[in-house]
Amino acid sequence: MQKRPSDSTSFVHAQDKLAFLLSLVPYLLDRDRVSVAEVAGHFQVSEEQVREAVRLIAVSGVPGETAQYQHGDLFDIAWDDFEESDEIQITHRVALDDSPRFSAREAAALIAGLQYLQALPETLDSAVLASLMAKLARGASDTPSQVAVAPSEASESLLTIRSAVAAGTQIEFDYVSSRGDREHRIVDPLRIDSNNEDWYLRGWCHTRQGIRTFRLDRMADLSRTDAPNTYAPGDLSLPDSLFDGSGETQGVVLEVLPAAVGLLGEYLAEGEPQLSRGALTQVTVRVAHIHGLKRLVASLPGVVRVISPADARLAVHDWAAAALEAYDAEPA
Amino acid sequence: MVSTDSAGAASVAVEERLFSLVLALLASEAGLTKNEILSTVQGYRQKYAFAGDNASLERQFERDKDDIRELGVPLETIEPLDEPGSNHNLRYRIPKGAYDLPADISFSSDEIALLNLAALAWREGSLSRESRHALLKLQSLGVESIEPVLGYAPRIRTREAAFDPLTDALARRVLVRFSYLKPGDLSPRERTVAPLSVVQHEGRWHVQGIDQNVNEPRTFLLSRIIGPVTRTRTPFESDDQHSAETALAQLDEIWQRNLAVVRVRENSDAETRLLKRRGSTRAADARLTLHFTDLHLLADELAGFGPEVFVVSPPELRQAVRKRLELTVATHQTLASSAETEQSPSAPMPSAPTSSAPTSSEPKGAPHAEKTV
Repeated sequence: MQKRPSDSTSFVHAQDKLAFLLSLVPYLLDRDRVSVAEVAGHFQVSEEQVREAVRLIAVSGVPGETAQYQHGDLFDIAWDDFEESDEIQITHRVALDDSPRFSAREAAALIAGLQYLQALPETLDSAVLASLMAKLARGASDTPSQVAVAPSEASESLLTIRSAVAAGTQIEFDYVSSRGDREHRIVDPLRIDSNNEDWYLRGWCHTRQGIRTFRLDRMADLSRTDAPNTYAPGDLSLPDSLFDGSGETQGVVLEVLPAAVGLLGEYLAEGEPQLSRGALTQVTVRVAHIHGLKRLVASLPGVVRVISPADARLAVHDWAAAALEAYDAEPA
Repeated sequence: MVSTDSAGAASVAVEERLFSLVLALLASEAGLTKNEILSTVQGYRQKYAFAGDNASLERQFERDKDDIRELGVPLETIEPLDEPGSNHNLRYRIPKGAYDLPADISFSSDEIALLNLAALAWREGSLSRESRHALLKLQSLGVESIEPVLGYAPRIRTREAAFDPLTDALARRVLVRFSYLKPGDLSPRERTVAPLSVVQHEGRWHVQGIDQNVNEPRTFLLSRIIGPVTRTRTPFESDDQHSAETALAQLDEIWQRNLAVVRVRENSDAETRLLKRRGSTRAADARLTLHFTDLHLLADELAGFGPEVFVVSPPELRQAVRKRLELTVATHQTLASSAETEQSPSAPMPSAPTSSAPTSSEPKGAPHAEKTV
């Protein structure tokens, strides 16, 4: 198993480290002898985190009859193997040998996560899911808290994309941009991203010769082609952010109610300065054009407004004014 | 290496103290008293004063117990049989049978892959930490996961600040207090609720619980909670195992019942996206029929589509969308056409949260989801 340093997580709280220790001991006992690198790969932590944890386990134990932590009251490891060949073997164990149960909240998080995943084609077998959820509940030390996500239907688009990936072919569809333009696109699908009920395709766009993000609900007439793909999932690295920073962008200054800053979602690049202006917060977002942003601003009336540039303000104003005209022309 | 000397008192790391406490309590079938713990367990014993005041050490022990219990470790308290009610000789232990994952529970590689993905969906808020802990425990079983062919990067958003304190109160089974702004009200009202479930429906988080003022079940939209959620210390009892199911069923019933008819511009973003909404159907002459749970939220969404959407019915929705458009126009006047001079560049947004929430200017109330229009 290869090391994946980019995936490794560091533990911030002592509680996180405790969860790791309690999980590591039963894993090591089951393995008999295992390399530090393999453990790091399996738990997706750094090798140094593993060594640190093993050093701690090796000197830990129970007070014992003398209440003095005598030698037999402590875990022990094969020190020479550990120090010379980076291998771990527990030679003496105390008190602990099995995996711990889940907490009520842990089980709840996984159960709700599974409910959310029901929209994916992979997880369509509801019997498998139900038994998995039951196992999580039974493996928890207390009744899982009731956190639930309403099941959504598996999107047909997902099934088509999935089958194209399995066959290694391209897909094609008409894409309606936020500008309202409709354009035919040919794409190699790479990854499916989601934000709550919004689903996105990340892919190599042959039409634009670049990595692009598409909203699934903006695709029309999606179909699988017979043409083999140029890139398969994993061939290209994808940025974490859904926001396409490619091409020219302009900064737009917004005034937002502080509680609503989160609603700006992907528009709000990390590290953008936020100025407090009285009861309002001022932020600058970068957009390729105003068309996507004007929709967002118009959906948050009285919560977000555009300060500058003037043409962006005007675009939002005209967008809403054009809609109002229709109502004035056709009163209820 | 073997830490029998108490010289390095300050050097015992917190995780070492917590780990040692778990090991000591697992090993002792009869349990240990607080004094035994403080005087003998690694990390405490170094700071224990045999003939002195251990108040701060005791407080540390209380916090450590919470940390350990939060991880799902069943740390029990037993009263001595001969001294019922005595606080002094309480014994603490972790019964091994209640600690260990039942031996008959195992997970296949496919199941681990699914659970990895389920955990990955929580990338923000406190449940992301819980997921990480759960994954560590799953990984301790030593099963390798099989990566799916097409990568998925799912994300469940929990943008509402109320989410973490509410799910926390759910697990602790304590009452919560918060200010709730029901649409149509000018100011929020304080609610005290016994939270039973937190559910996401159509991408929106709701909390279902017993409203203590009326002693009846109510469903609240998290985005309408104003300000912080206060977690009280008042515990409550409930044997309701189906709160989440009931809440979701009720929300779906409302969704089924509520219909809006809109006209959309041909080939527009609105047409494509609204048609893809669950339950949308196309009627004659560019009309779409939509289902919705909350009129005010739908009005926000439709207002965003600007001239691409025209609301035909119901009239309340039409009115709500108009009001939103008017507000957007008013807050985006250009300098030239603005009558105001001192308030550059134009009509300021209402700034107090109570009067500026998008739902507050609406005459129609939707206090609880089950009563939403």
